[in-house]
Amino acid sequence: MNSGPGKGSPARRAFLPLLAAALLVPLAACTTDRDAGRDTGRDDDGRPSTGTVRVLASSELSDMEPLLEKAREATGITVRPTWAGTLDAVERLASGKADGAFDAVWLSSNDYLRLDPEAARRIASETPLMASPVALGVRPATVRRLGWDAGAVSWAQVHRAVAAGDLTYGMTDPSRSNSGFAALISVASGLSGAQAALTDADVRKAGPKLKEFFAGQRLTSGSSGWLASAYARRSTVDALINYESVLLSLNRDTGAGLTVIRPRDGVVTADYPLSALTGATPDARDAVRALAEHFRSTGVQREITARTLRRPVVAAARPADPLSPEQRRELPFPGTRSVADGLLSSYEHRLRRPSRTVYVLDTSGSMKGGRLAQLKSALNGLTGDFREREQVTLLPFGSTVKQVRTHTVDPADPKAGPAAIRADAAALTAEGDTAIYSSLAAAYDHLGPDTESAFTSVVLMTDGENTAGRSAAEFAAFYRALPAARQVTPVFPIVFGDSDRSELESIASLTGGRLFDGTKEEGPGSLDGAFEEIRGYQ
Amino acid sequence: MGIVLAVVLIAGVAAAVALGRDSGDSGTAGKTVRGVIGSEKAEFFADPDTVKALAAKGFTVRTETSGSWAMDRLPLKGYDFAFPGSKAPADELRRGSEAQGGPLRPFYSPLVVVAHRNAAEVLADNGLARLRADGGSKFTTQGTLLMGPYLAAAEDDRTWQQLKGASGHSELSGTVFITSTDPVASNSGALYLAAASYVADGGRVATDAKAVERTAPLMRKLVQVQGAQQTSSDAPFRDFISGVGNPIVLVYESQVASLLMSSQRQEIGDLVVLYPDTTVSSDHTLVPLTDHGRELGELLSTDPGLRELAVRHGFRPQGAAAEFITATADHTAYIDQRLTGVRQAPVPTAEVLRSMARRARG
Repeated sequence: MNSGPGKGSPARRAFLPLLAAALLVPLAACTTDRDAGRDTGRDDDGRPSTGTVRVLASSELSDMEPLLEKAREATGITVRPTWAGTLDAVERLASGKADGAFDAVWLSSNDYLRLDPEAARRIASETPLMASPVALGVRPATVRRLGWDAGAVSWAQVHRAVAAGDLTYGMTDPSRSNSGFAALISVASGLSGAQAALTDADVRKAGPKLKEFFAGQRLTSGSSGWLASAYARRSTVDALINYESVLLSLNRDTGAGLTVIRPRDGVVTADYPLSALTGATPDARDAVRALAEHFRSTGVQREITARTLRRPVVAAARPADPLSPEQRRELPFPGTRSVADGLLSSYEHRLRRPSRTVYVLDTSGSMKGGRLAQLKSALNGLTGDFREREQVTLLPFGSTVKQVRTHTVDPADPKAGPAAIRADAAALTAEGDTAIYSSLAAAYDHLGPDTESAFTSVVLMTDGENTAGRSAAEFAAFYRALPAARQVTPVFPIVFGDSDRSELESIASLTGGRLFDGTKEEGPGSLDGAFEEIRGYQ
Repeated sequence: MGIVLAVVLIAGVAAAVALGRDSGDSGTAGKTVRGVIGSEKAEFFADPDTVKALAAKGFTVRTETSGSWAMDRLPLKGYDFAFPGSKAPADELRRGSEAQGGPLRPFYSPLVVVAHRNAAEVLADNGLARLRADGGSKFTTQGTLLMGPYLAAAEDDRTWQQLKGASGHSELSGTVFITSTDPVASNSGALYLAAASYVADGGRVATDAKAVERTAPLMRKLVQVQGAQQTSSDAPFRDFISGVGNPIVLVYESQVASLLMSSQRQEIGDLVVLYPDTTVSSDHTLVPLTDHGRELGELLSTDPGLRELAVRHGFRPQGAAAEFITATADHTAYIDQRLTGVRQAPVPTAEVLRSMARRARG
């Protein structure tokens, strides 16, 4: 079941251009195609079909699913969403990978997309459906401690509090999540003193302040959902930077009680444009337009703001209750790709705290052959993505820990570390039993007491159940006996081969990590995909 | 190559018509016509009354929106008409496609600037705008943007903080600028440069590279300060109405008029409409690509019912002004019906305007 879609997809991809060509020939052929579309629509296999719109959508829009269902009832159009990070979606558009596979994209914002001419030329029309600015959610006790007037806080004030060690926060990874990216732009604009759209010079000038600011970042995440749960576990983190709607929803749904601050000196706002693609069929584009009209109707706008706490975009619908009507300056989004990418790259390689990660890798006997080859290739793929200053430890295990090898990506020679990791990966061999828990404990021991200077985490890849060394209960006791500062390191287990999902789930929930799926052959949900996705959490 | 394209074009139209019939779209209406339009006209075509009026004349119209200046990049096969928001991109489309007969200009709309009240008052207090004196009314909701002083402020990188009266309003900080759409891709953005360059060059319309050169640094400033720009006029106006984004935004008068005619007073918020003392009108120009497209264009220009519907969406029909004046009678607090004292700047040719836009954006 799990390997099915992966195996089938190359053949389908090859078929798509034929289908597109067929739509240009007259009646008979069209009818055949439309029938075929209907048949395959039932199987939900990603091919175009009448009455269904295939949408590449920002993951954070998954809170709109109940409204998508209502839209189907009202318009007869089914939205088939594929969730992705905004920047990932832009990459898929620009590279042509989304051609023929999607009729529309629906991202938090098209700001970044517009900077990429290859992606931008694939957008036929766009309709903003709602709005939410970047905001800072702070524990009320912290607001009191800092003596802040929530309506009057500026980014400069936030920076001063962070630099003084009085404020720590979590935010999502700007490379993978639009909320993180918008936060990065907001902070950089706010701290650079730029009066207009950011330039390369502004970013350089703001460098020292930004470094101080990001030293206060205690949590990073590939998704807003995990960020919120990690924040709930960590009483020492004072604040979250995310969209206003995410923070207010957290208050409503979990009683987080955050004081939501839109800094006075300006914010970047997401406007969630539903965008039809130039490659979509005329029918599909009609359907996208009908959906946009539905979502822009006054009644639906009222429902959107009530449910999602985003701001409506039609005058007749007023913002839901907790949304303050007071206006904020909109910080201009950088006008060029070089500024946006330069800021992103500075953040990754220089501004943020580096990461220290232990990869606990099952190389027991059962990994022999294809599985070990898959692991090696996944590790190889990963080495292109390591950031400067990052410390990576490979900890392969069988009946016991086989070896502990640590490499750091040195900014002076950023290729050497990844090359050494590739060499270590190539030398891995499969033998022995499976000592999961003992090896995890060894990973915590290796990381040691310092969890302040870097984002620490453990990745666990195993293809089977625990057959040697410590038991799950013994590991739980070990973990709970660690000092609080060492317990902040989460384990991110990957389900692979014959591993026991519930066993791995327990490890993730014990340590505040998150489970990732590596059971598919390729793409998201494969071992490669899981390693790549976990990067957002490191 | 030309022959192949023509064949594909015909096949595309056949398929589009066949698809329309197949899904039962056509009903009693005989002709399904498909067009690509500037986003500012999307609501007009989507209005059920427009659909009904067109159906009564035998038309089912399917539209997709696009930035007016990006239309020439779309594969136009299968379309019956293109309907950008100005003559200049229409001229370009006519050259690049198999246009069926001359272009039609059923209606037009001048560019205006919408501002939130705080911003409008600060601009007025600092000599960049003049608000209309309104007997009895507490707030004025209409005024004039003084292009000369505004461009001088832009030249100096004037910030809100440097203007008197701005300090009490947190949303008024940073460089003072008007948000426009991307001039390379979108009509209203390009027309903004047409008006601004005309004023900046002492009331001369740019006709050649030298003229473009003279105003290039200022045009570049007007655009660069904005950072990333949207490609359609709809999005920035939506942002403005929902209270996010820059407090001064360039839009079509039609967008404002349409909002006024379809909303309750309290839903308008703290809107002030500033008519630039020198502006440019957007001549919505339909380029017919097929006979059906041409018939549609003629219908929109002449049918009284459709003209009335265009007015309801804020457009000014060509010819007599009476329809627009009657329809906006209740909204003269915002709408300057006769455009008194508003000078119309001539628009450079598509080629010149495009090069101006590229230099400003580039």
